This record gives sequence, structure tokens and C-alpha cells, in this order.
Amino acid sequence: MTDTLHTSKPPLTASPGWQLTKFAFYALLLCVALLLLLGFLTEKFNVGATSTSAVNFEKNTITLSLTSEPPQMDSTRATDMVSGMLLGHIMEGLIRYGPDNEILPGVAESWDMGELAGTFYLRKDAFWSNGTPVTAHDFVFSWQTALNPATASQYAFVLYPIKNGKAINIGEAELDSFGAKAVDDYTLSIELEQPTPYFIKLLAFFTYLPINKEFYESREGNYGTNAEDMIYNGPFHMTRWVHDKDVRLEKNEYYWNNSETRLDAIEFGYITPDPNTALNLFATGKIVLAGLNAENIERALTEGWRIETHSDGSVFYLGFNHREERPTSNLNLRKAIQQVCDPEELVYKVLKTPGNIPGKSIFPVWLRGVNGFFRDEYPGPDHKRNVASAQEYLQKALDELGLDEPPSLVFLTGDSAFSAKHAEYYQSMLKEKLGIEIKIDKQIFKQRLAKMTSGEYDIVAAGWGPDYDDVLTFGDLFTSWNANNRGLYHNEELDRQVEIAQQSSDPKTRMDAMDRVQHILYEDAAIIFEYERGSVYVFDDRVKGVTRRSVGTDPDYTRAYIEEEVDS
Amino acid sequence: MTELSFRPVETAQDVEKTSRPSLSYWQDAWLRLVANKRAMTSLFVIIFLILFAYLGPLVWRADHTEQHLDKTSQAPWVNRNAILIAEEAEWEDVVVADPTGTHQAPMSVEVIGEARTTSVGLKWDAVPNAAGYRIYRHILEPKAGFPLGLPIGETEDRTHVSFQDRMDIQQKTYWYSVAAVDEDGKDFEEFTSVEVRPRLYITVGEALRLGYITDASKVEPGDTVLLDWHPLGTDYLGRDMLARLMKGAQVSLSIGIVAPLLFIIIGILIGSVAGFFGGAVDSALMRFTDFVIALPFLLFMILFMVWFGIEAGGSGIPAMVVALVLLSWPGVARLVRGEVLQIREHGYVEASRLLGGSNSWLIGRHMIPNTMGVVLVSFTFAVPATIFTEAFLSFIGMGVVPPTPSWGAMCNDGIRTMEKTPHELLFPALFISITVLAFNLLGDGLRDALDARLRSRE
Repeated sequence: MTDTLHTSKPPLTASPGWQLTKFAFYALLLCVALLLLLGFLTEKFNVGATSTSAVNFEKNTITLSLTSEPPQMDSTRATDMVSGMLLGHIMEGLIRYGPDNEILPGVAESWDMGELAGTFYLRKDAFWSNGTPVTAHDFVFSWQTALNPATASQYAFVLYPIKNGKAINIGEAELDSFGAKAVDDYTLSIELEQPTPYFIKLLAFFTYLPINKEFYESREGNYGTNAEDMIYNGPFHMTRWVHDKDVRLEKNEYYWNNSETRLDAIEFGYITPDPNTALNLFATGKIVLAGLNAENIERALTEGWRIETHSDGSVFYLGFNHREERPTSNLNLRKAIQQVCDPEELVYKVLKTPGNIPGKSIFPVWLRGVNGFFRDEYPGPDHKRNVASAQEYLQKALDELGLDEPPSLVFLTGDSAFSAKHAEYYQSMLKEKLGIEIKIDKQIFKQRLAKMTSGEYDIVAAGWGPDYDDVLTFGDLFTSWNANNRGLYHNEELDRQVEIAQQSSDPKTRMDAMDRVQHILYEDAAIIFEYERGSVYVFDDRVKGVTRRSVGTDPDYTRAYIEEEVDS
Repeated sequence: MTELSFRPVETAQDVEKTSRPSLSYWQDAWLRLVANKRAMTSLFVIIFLILFAYLGPLVWRADHTEQHLDKTSQAPWVNRNAILIAEEAEWEDVVVADPTGTHQAPMSVEVIGEARTTSVGLKWDAVPNAAGYRIYRHILEPKAGFPLGLPIGETEDRTHVSFQDRMDIQQKTYWYSVAAVDEDGKDFEEFTSVEVRPRLYITVGEALRLGYITDASKVEPGDTVLLDWHPLGTDYLGRDMLARLMKGAQVSLSIGIVAPLLFIIIGILIGSVAGFFGGAVDSALMRFTDFVIALPFLLFMILFMVWFGIEAGGSGIPAMVVALVLLSWPGVARLVRGEVLQIREHGYVEASRLLGGSNSWLIGRHMIPNTMGVVLVSFTFAVPATIFTEAFLSFIGMGVVPPTPSWGAMCNDGIRTMEKTPHELLFPALFISITVLAFNLLGDGLRDALDARLRSRE
């Protein structure tokens, strides 16, 4: 009896391997079944995706994705690229950039611009999306709001060329003393602080967009937080904004030039920072454009998609902390690091995406010089990695600093996967070539700026994008008075050259001064030029008329249209 | 009564015979463990992993931080035969006279010199009316009417008819296409392609420096040398995966063993004291235990990191160990308390107490040794859990800091390139899985072996 009981159940330890295999097999089977079931259900009920397609012929609509949710749509407080891109579609300033980056009249029909003052004549057929006319008061109000210290706008400095702009922003002058004044509803007069040859180009920047005062005040501080908490004067207006989910722009019938707007709507149906997710959306025909990275280029090639490159105009560099208590304030140490850096290696072996250009200067290749491109006329310093000379510099630096071995340095960088890879490259490279230990400090953007401002770093991975189309947008970055010169670099010769370029209106004099600036930055190893950022992306070529830019709204869909479907 | 009346009783022989050697509890457990194939395999796997982590680096001497940027994300099976060449020549642009004719695309595109994995030089004949050229690279043969591939470069003048590609070139077949560009930057309809298969080359100087050859006079250009082998491939910065896995194993195993040891000691102390004294002490300690169990681990981990004031670029490992130790002991404490509650009612404990055994003697001599079985089992289960926690925290970037590798951090790096170079994710993931499985199966086997109720009676 007991015997039968005993044998009816196999002992616990019998053929354990077989037991495990069987279990694993069933588990795997179950997983596969579950996957298929879920896939089927998603298909059937279309869960997690709106049923839009990238290009909708009937509704004359295209669908796109955003990399992040815009924090808010108030142009006086906007800082990020996504807000800037959206504002470029739903708002219009005094001027706007055309398809070839030429300056076109926007709300201003015409203007007389002298050296120190100008008058802008506004068109009478420009309306807000609630039907009220766009007036000169709207511009003055918006600019004053941005400069008001209470707004704490990070981009207020863009308005500094206007008379008393800076004084108002730092609380030393009253709003009434502002250099921009509405003479009447349709005439705007602007006085400048000092000659600013590039002032017209600045006017397309988002901080220069108008805001309707009456509407702004009726929202009691909520202006720009929702689609219905704004009014629009651009080619499109925002009809839906579900936070963290989607944004919908529709053609603005009140826009004075709406005959040139050919799309009925633009749907930003997805918000995702992950390039692989975006590429999957592109692959399934959900969005029109998706960025590529070094990892998924191959997929785009095998799928046979059209790949395009684009330079976003920004320049990336390693910034040093020039504060006295930091080892990086030592010139020879900076020179040593500069001499082992190789921008070509970085671009070809680490970044691995076409479009990026190895950095040779603070001025990117697309900037205009006297007649042609600035960098064709002034090629910038010659740099080649030289480990031997770097080690000499390092020895000198150690003697000066009174150290026996190379100091350990804090490398401040972003929190993305790319930043980590980039920082690790420098960590190993500097350790191997110079014996310098690098501690990587990954921080979110805001925290990184705070640490840069307080000086808690030695080296920082930084970049600068152009705010307007002139050499000075890069040239004045390292002047002693620039708030963005967070490493506190100070060089009187450089300051003087920038002043020359700011005040002169002779292109040759200005460009010569800027040439000095790029050489000073190199000789002083104030920063290390890394690369000019470019990107590769895939694009649905049924959509035409899209402009990609380095300065201003990018990508610009205001003149985009869908090509008629042709049978092929 | 004579002496004979009293005769010692003969000692009974063979009345009771030990047919098998007497076995202590531990000996018996060991025998049962050895009989369990699953557990024994796991034990050998664990021993192998320990040897891999600590003796491995002595055998495989590659440096886990050294970058080889010429072979990033290289698969294990890639061809390693490099052809020796003399020093590399400086790249010079080819400029030709302004062309005449009517052709729309270059007549031919050719490779300048050898196609190398470090650079591929191309030149073509000029196209009239072109404003410049755009050069594409594809991994499939381009067809008319289809995209030409990756736009790898542009030239801005029709007389500049050469281009050097240095962008991440692998040892595989590429098709380079050159299309002329008009004033507006649009490609002409026609294009010319060339098929290129870049090969691995190494300059004599480089080979000398890296020790592949010892005497430059004994070799001549064209000879092949075998480059370093990376048995598990390299990662995205060309670092040896095997060396990184070994270093990562050290991190994972040391945390996986140290942290559980520490929290088990705390658990034993608290559990045995609570169980032994009972009453108010017991309920106070057990309420405290309940409180600690309720604390969320991840949140406290972050709090500890802040509290430790981890400096920029500092490692999160000490904070992780402290958080693990301070938050993970309650399980063990409860287990030990339960055991002690049973044991203290046993007769031998009572006897020991009557003979004058002090409390600490009773706990140290009778309670703790008798709970060792359950403790050991919970230890073997705690190790994989801790290894997994470490991997998870490093995966989300809260653990080790670069350049120290950890399996979790390596997975995080590898997941980005999963589609293109799966080996970067596969190997660390495999190591985590195998380690966790081995420890769990061993724990399973130990529990069976140590369970007194299952002791063999045959």
C-alpha cells in the first residue's frame, strides 16, 4: 500500500534537467501565444495609436512627431527648439525667413532702417485669430514683457540691442524708457542702443514675436499654457493641445497671406524623444519625418528610404572653467588637452553620422563672410593631434601647478545616452594619452546650466546654436560681459575685437575682427572645437516644399504641400 | 557465592550494528546536494563564474578601459587579417580642368589606391554644368529611381572631383554613387556607382607600435598580420567585451555576496533576539521590522545617494550597499525569529538552561547553529536578487560610473545598438541570466538538502 503511494508520485529530484526543459518550453510557448494574442488585439482595436497616417490626401493633412512636449507657448519665455519650431508656424514677427533664408516682409510691410533707429510700417490686413488687428502695440507689449525682470525670460538678452533693453532687464530703467515705441497702431519706431548691423535678421527670432496685450491679460498668467489660452497671427493656429500626447495645427484663415498656406492641418500626433520609436512610426507610415542615429542608419538603407542630411547650424565644443581655483585656469594644461583632441576621430569614429563636420573654429561653415562664406575667406586655425607636444605642455602645467601627477578633472555633461558615450570617449582618451583622470558628471540640462553658472566643473560639453544669421551670434559668446560665458573666460584682446565687430558696419573690418577671435580662442585654448552638428533623417517625399534651416524655424512646413498621387 | 556465581554478562555482540557510517546533519545534506544534478551543475557554474571574475583577468590580459576606435562594435567573428602598408599618404584633392561635353553623370568613378577600413578615396571625371557633386554610400546595389543611400559628402565645385570617406567603414561591400548637383542643390537624374570592398590595412609604424611585428626590415608591404582577437567582440568604443565582462563580474559578484552577508548578519541578530526573548522585546522588534519592510527601496536608494553627498562622477556602489543592507534584513529576521521560537521549546535548550547556560550561550550555541539551514538557503536566494538589483540600478544609471563596467550598465549600452550589433547586449544579458539562474537553482537544491523532514531514512 505504502509502496504504491510512494511510486505514484515521481521523486522530487528525478531527472531535474528534463523537468526544467519542459517547464522552460511551456513558459516560452505561453509567452509566444500571449505576444500573438496581444498583437492581434492591438491590430483589431487599434490601441495606442490614432488612426492617422503620415500623409492624408483627403484631409490635406500631414502627421509628424515631436521630440518633447513644449513647456509652454509663451514666446517671451520660450527657450527650447520644439517651442521655437511651433511658434514659427503659429506666430509671425515683423519679418520672416523665406525658403532660401532671404528676409521677407512679415507683419511689417516695409521699413526704413538707419544705423541707430528705424521705423516699421505694419500691414493693415494682419489679424489675430480672434479677428482683432495686429498692431504696433502688440510688439511693444511683448518685448516689454520679455524684458520685465519679473518675467525672468532667459532670452531677454536677444532684445538688448534695442535702446534701454538691458537696463530695463536688470531693473535699472523704467519700462517707459524702452527704445521701441508705437507711434500709432501701424507704425513702430525703434531706437537702438548702438549700431547693430544684423538687427533686421534678429526680428524673426521668437522673442521678437508679438502678443496681444488684452488677450494676454485676460488669461491671468495662463497665457500660452493651452491651445485656447492663446491667439495666433501665423499661417497656422493651434486647435488642440493634449499635453504630453499631441498637438494639432490648422490653417489660420485670418492670416494675411493664407493663400500661400497649402496644407489644411499639421498633426503632431506623437511626442517621443526616442529615435527608434520615431523610426518605427515612420516605418509604419505614421509620420512624415524621423531622425536617424549611427545605430539605425543601416535599417534605413536596407528599407530603401531616402536619407537626407541637415546641419542645424550649431557648434559643439568643450568649455573650460577659467575660475582661478580650478586647474583648468592653467593655460598649459588646457593646451595639453587641446593638443590630444582630434575632432576628426570624434566625428568619424565616435559620432559616426554624416552631416557632422569636424570642428575647426567657433564659427560654423555656413556663416557669411565679406563676399562668400566666412570660413572660405578665413579658414581658421590649423589643428592636428600632437601627443608629444601635449605631454610637454602637461609637464609645464604640472610644474606651474606644483603637482606631481596630472589632476583629476570633472567633466560635466548631459544625461542622454549620447552624452555618456561622448564623455567616456574623452575619459579613456585623456587617461591613455595624458594620464588625466576624468570624473563624469551627468546632469539634466537645467542642472547643468546651474552648475556651469556656479562653476562646479572643469570641462563641460557645450554647444551653441545661432539665434540670428550673423557671425556675432557666435563671436560674442566668450566676451567678459556675455552671461553665457559661464566658464568666465576673460581676454581683453578678444573683448576689443568683438566691440569692433559690433560697432563697425564695414564687413571687412568686422570679419577681420572675427578672424582674430577664432585664433585667440584657439591659441588661448579657451575652448576646444569639437564638431558642427548635423543630422541625417528620413523623409516622406510625397510632401514637398518643406524648408530645413540652420537659423530660424526648422523644419518649416508653412509652405509645405502634398504632391498629387500619381499612379506609377 | 562463588566468583562463578557472578559472571559478567557477555556484551551483546551484533545486537545493534551500524550498517552505515553515522552522518552528521551537514554530511547528510552534502550527500543529498551531490545527488542533485541540477544543484551541482549550478554550483560548478558559480565556481566557474568566480574563477572567471577573479582569475580571468590574470589570463586574459586585455585592458577593459582601452579604446580601439578602429574597431568599434566589432563582432567576434570578424576577419582579423590586416595587410601591411607603408605610411599613409596625405590626402590631396583632385582638381581637373573645366569639362566639356553633355554627359549628365561622371563617366566613371574609381577608387584611389586601396579601399581601406580607415579611408576610401574616390575620384571621378568632371561633369559639365554641374555646380558640385554629392557622394552617396549604400550597402545594397543602387538602382535608378531609388534612393542612392547615405549622403556621405558633397563637393562644391565641378572641378573638384575627389572625395575621401572616413565615416565608420566596415569590412563589407559598399556601393559609392556620385551624382552631379545643379545650382539649387538638386541631384541630376543620372549617377555613376562603384562597388568597393574595403579591407583591413595597418601601417608598418602602427604594427610596430602595437607589437604585431618586431622588426620592420623583415616585413614588406603586402604581408598580412593577424590583429588582436576579441573573443566576444568589442563595444561601441572598441573596448574588449571579454575583459569588460570579467571586470563587470567582479563588481556584480562582490556586491552580490557582500551585501547579503551583511544584511543576513543583521537579520540573524535581530531575529534571534526577538525570538528568544519574546514578549515586549519581540513585538517591538517585529513592529520595527514591519516598518522597514514597508520602506520603498528605490526611493531610499536615491535618498542615500543624496545623503552620502556623492560627488560628481562618484560611484553609487557604497550608497547601494548601504541601502541594500539597511532595507533587506527584515526577511531574514522574520525567518530566524520563527525558527528560534520553535527551537527554544526543545528539550535540549531547557536542559542547557537548567545546567546554567546564559542567554548568550543559549543563543550562540543552540539557536543560531540550528537556524543555519534556513539562513543558508535565504542567502543563496539573496545573492541573485542582489546581483539583479545591482544590474537594474546600473542599467538605469544609478550604479557604477564609467569606465567601470557592470553587467547592467553594459546591457544599457548594448540595448541601443541591439539591432545592428546584438552581441553588445547579448553577452552581458546572458551572464546576468546564467548567474541569477545558477544561484537560484543552487538555493533550491540547498533547501531540499537541508530540509530535515526530507532526510534520508533508507
